[in-house]
Amino acid sequence: MIRRRILAPLALGLVLVLAWLAPWSPPPAPRAQGVEVFLNVTGGGAKKLNIAIPEFALLGGTDPRGTAKLLASVAGKDLTFSGLFSVVAATGSIPPNDIAALKEAWTAFAAAGAHAGVHGLLALRGEQLEVEMRLYDLTSPEHRLIAARKFQGTVAQARRVAHRIADEIVLQFTGEPGVADTKIAYVLGPRGAKELYIADYDGAGAAPVTRNGSINLSPVWSPDARSLAFTSFVQGYPDLYRVFPFERRPLQTLAAFAGINSAPAWSPDGRSLAMTLSKDGNPEIYVLNVATGALRRLTRHAGIDTDPTWSPTGRQLAFVSDRTGTPHVFVTDTDGANVRQLTTGGFQTQARWSPKGDTIVYTQRQDGHQLWAVNPDGSSPRQLTFGPGSAQSASWAPDGRHLAFQSIRLGRSQIFAMLLDGTPPTQVTAGGGEATSPSWSPRLP
Amino acid sequence: MATRAAHIVVMSLLLFGVVLAGCAKRPATTQASAPAPTAPPAVSSPPAPAPAPSPTPSAPSMAAPRPAPTTAAPRPTTARPSPKEFVAIADLKDIHFDFDKYDIRPSDAKTLDANAAWLKSHADYLALIEGHADERGTNEYNLALGERRAKSAMNYLVSQGVQASRITIISYGEERPQCTEKNEGCWSKNRRAHFLVKPR
Repeated sequence: MIRRRILAPLALGLVLVLAWLAPWSPPPAPRAQGVEVFLNVTGGGAKKLNIAIPEFALLGGTDPRGTAKLLASVAGKDLTFSGLFSVVAATGSIPPNDIAALKEAWTAFAAAGAHAGVHGLLALRGEQLEVEMRLYDLTSPEHRLIAARKFQGTVAQARRVAHRIADEIVLQFTGEPGVADTKIAYVLGPRGAKELYIADYDGAGAAPVTRNGSINLSPVWSPDARSLAFTSFVQGYPDLYRVFPFERRPLQTLAAFAGINSAPAWSPDGRSLAMTLSKDGNPEIYVLNVATGALRRLTRHAGIDTDPTWSPTGRQLAFVSDRTGTPHVFVTDTDGANVRQLTTGGFQTQARWSPKGDTIVYTQRQDGHQLWAVNPDGSSPRQLTFGPGSAQSASWAPDGRHLAFQSIRLGRSQIFAMLLDGTPPTQVTAGGGEATSPSWSPRLP
Repeated sequence: MATRAAHIVVMSLLLFGVVLAGCAKRPATTQASAPAPTAPPAVSSPPAPAPAPSPTPSAPSMAAPRPAPTTAAPRPTTARPSPKEFVAIADLKDIHFDFDKYDIRPSDAKTLDANAAWLKSHADYLALIEGHADERGTNEYNLALGERRAKSAMNYLVSQGVQASRITIISYGEERPQCTEKNEGCWSKNRRAHFLVKPR
């Protein structure tokens, strides 16, 4: 309630600000008297909100690991990644409990073009940290407080706390949290030995999920972000399994029929899993009730049917079929009725329905592969990636604004993430081996 | 980067919001200790950042524990022999496929005829047919394509009189290329059905 009351005038203010804000010229970095804050204004996209997020102020304890700096730096990168903000860089912190210093700092930041400011307050007690994030509207003369939120965790979880702070800031300005507090699962390995890995959405903290020395493929997060369904050859044949990476729970076998068990896709409610099985003769789409094991066949066609993906309503599925000769994207109702072809010409696979419902992304064979998008009614097919190198295996972020994908643009295959607006992708994985098949998690609970 | 204020004011975090609210002239600071209902949960019990594969799983503090889904996973309808038990032999030759195709090429039919003849004269052997794809499709589609190729080869052998019950198929999609260069010469070698046998 509080947030909404604040948002309306602020959002209006932002629109006005964005309307008149020309790409302003960065002033020389001023040093506010008595405040240890240095402004170095970088970037300043006219369409973005300029936000200042100086180093967090230490309220208590010692900070041998530089957590105060890390929090500001990670949250700043998250805000930049969101595509909504341009971070007004700063060094130093605004002292806590000093109204005059705060006013001075915000006045200086506002003069440098900042529209919003984040005052972070950090208290450290051994391995425990507590952070308060105070978000100010620097376009208002009195530097109005927009929101204040507290976050707790351990020092080892500082990156995650920073992600939560960034997501909260995005929430304050858009009404929907950001996607920084998420994970990306992917496949890593040379051919012939591929293991599942999970990293933070920005690539930090990569760690293996499987270590079976087999071929593990096509990980997909369940809607509760607690488990991954995937294909594995661990028992010799391509079967479907479910792993709980954060829990001490055994691997579950989801489907191990004769033939292939592949291309898993969770229904939005997490109760069903669409998949490709060839047990009845050729690759067809089936829907498994995960709790009961009941299996329902969705497609009946002599060709290949695979790559199912659910609409966010759970009432439709898109899938890939070569029934017309080469693979194209089709849509069907969940009961198998109303099959219609979405894409034509060329060779399209890996349909992935946006969590917002308005777009289906797919992989088009073209200079290797490139990502394309089409509306669910088949209108407006449009190219999303243009190289260098190929791009495939898209996975939507929960905001429906970002995509992860694999690309060989740097030689080896790595995972990248991008906004749909054509902003150059950012690299997520950078380790050895070939990183492929990303799955972007829902927001973590 | 401690500041003068930070040196002086070292107090409990539980208090500072109140103190600041007292100092500040802004009405809005009362929110400091009252997060809006829409705020995401505090990070008081986040999951460990590193997923834990191994002996020490990460803290399962991600969410309130719920009963494990009682997954009645479907059981395989037929027992499958382990692919590892099969070996390639010189008498059984690979066949190859055109890009994105799984029909048997006329030139490969002769190879299949020879493979069928060998299998018929060695009734004490079981066969495994691997289907493979080149890297130019995408993983999941290629798994299906490899399956179709293995199935095409199997159907041909059966049409030549080999008992279907002696044949198992497996698709590796693009996961086990024979050749890793990025050119058609190499890709054409990878689009194959490969034959292995084991004694009954």
